Amino acid sequence: MRTEEKLYTLRYKKDDKSHLAIKDVNTCLECTAKYGEPQPCVSICPANVFSWQNNRIVIGYENCVECGASRIACPYENIDWNYPRFGKGIALRYA
Amino acid sequence: MLDYDIVVVGAGPAGSAAALKAASEGKKVLVIERGPEPGSKNVSGAMIRKDYVTSVFGEDMPFERNVETIKLSLYNGNKPVNIEFHPRGLVTTGRLKFDKWLSSVSEKAGAMVIPKTTALKLNWENGVAKSLTTDRGEVSAKSFVLAEGVNSLVSMESGIKGDWTPENSVQAVKMVYSIKKSDLNTLFDLPDDNTGMSWRMITSDPLIAGFMYTYKDSLAVGIGSPIKELIDRKIRPEKLLDDFLAMTGIAEKVKGYSLREYSAKIIPEGGFPDINVAKGNVYLCGDAIGLVDPLTFDGITPAIASGTLAGEAAVYNYDKEIYRYNLMKNPEISKIAKERKLETDFMTGNKAGEYINMVSSMLEGWASGDLMGIRNTMVSNYRNLIPDLMTFVMRMR
Repeated sequence: MRTEEKLYTLRYKKDDKSHLAIKDVNTCLECTAKYGEPQPCVSICPANVFSWQNNRIVIGYENCVECGASRIACPYENIDWNYPRFGKGIALRYA
Repeated sequence: MLDYDIVVVGAGPAGSAAALKAASEGKKVLVIERGPEPGSKNVSGAMIRKDYVTSVFGEDMPFERNVETIKLSLYNGNKPVNIEFHPRGLVTTGRLKFDKWLSSVSEKAGAMVIPKTTALKLNWENGVAKSLTTDRGEVSAKSFVLAEGVNSLVSMESGIKGDWTPENSVQAVKMVYSIKKSDLNTLFDLPDDNTGMSWRMITSDPLIAGFMYTYKDSLAVGIGSPIKELIDRKIRPEKLLDDFLAMTGIAEKVKGYSLREYSAKIIPEGGFPDINVAKGNVYLCGDAIGLVDPLTFDGITPAIASGTLAGEAAVYNYDKEIYRYNLMKNPEISKIAKERKLETDFMTGNKAGEYINMVSSMLEGWASGDLMGIRNTMVSNYRNLIPDLMTFVMRMR
């Protein structure tokens, strides 16, 4: 089963503003030179939030399952990781 | 500005235990919860000790099934060695129902619970926290309990603790399949709708702690694996779970049933006692200070134990050394603290692989009557491995 199909099972309310951000895009270039692809954030995320497109990390924050792994995995502490606001984001029912 | 005696961040087991304790002592307590309702952001892979929860929160705890059988499997390659036993007092429970109930008990004791509100930061004056900024405004209090879970952003922002590292954290992913009661009973040989079973597995390469257990009309399966190992080897956690389900034969069992929910969670491995647990009038508890058993995935028992102590510390404004001492002398918490060294070895060296290979060769030797083989395994490993091994096997329960 594809990750996207797994994510379809989640109830989700989207915040207009992303709760995740890359602090410095140049750091991602440095990271890619050192660690190769997939980068630690791309590899560890269980929800395909991070992807490497045109030499930068693109964040699909609406996929986020709020586990926090990307923030811990980033060797440069380059992810500004927050919780969604106002009760938005995922709402689990059966976990 | 709203003003309370005590503000608790997080309405999980630790936060609700803290709120219950503080409200029961007559304090004016506010609990803020970032999810739309308590439990809606929570993931766990553990069975729950019903008697323990009941001793703190009272009767009527909602649960799914009584776990009457636990199977342990050590995988050395693809072939497992199995141990089966029959525990008492363990149940499975879904976190939404469970955490809502815990929170409702704290409300009945007088705590006020506000969901859909995210804590952002504490505001300090001369080492004393005066107020908490949330996405809906600011609230002041005499003391604060941070039961904010493994991603303890407020604690980190205040410099009380640092973040976890890939070396001391585990990535867990979980899936719940819808399986109607009668099918579930047939699949796992369960006599009735209230009886359940649980299966725990450990593999050595890559290092995975897996679990499977029965809910009322669904099956929960999941794995945890060290983040360091996953990123070094560029292993995707959800792919690892799929492979794991295929290897253990679970994929075959759930074939044709629909996936009900997918979730993920970080399990902290470092933490108490090697962590700061308080600053001034602010007390941390639960996952925020790393109180999860990495093998049984039980974070709920130590969350409730530490939450109760944090609530008490907040009521009496204990010095942080007194709070630490109280945590240390609590049996549910000291158990984790004592075993921290073993966990560290487990995560950093490749001791896990050694244990698993040793246990499986010992048990195979026993089963086939190869007593010399068992003796050789024991003698060659005795000094460094046997004492740790005993702890390891005991803890898997």
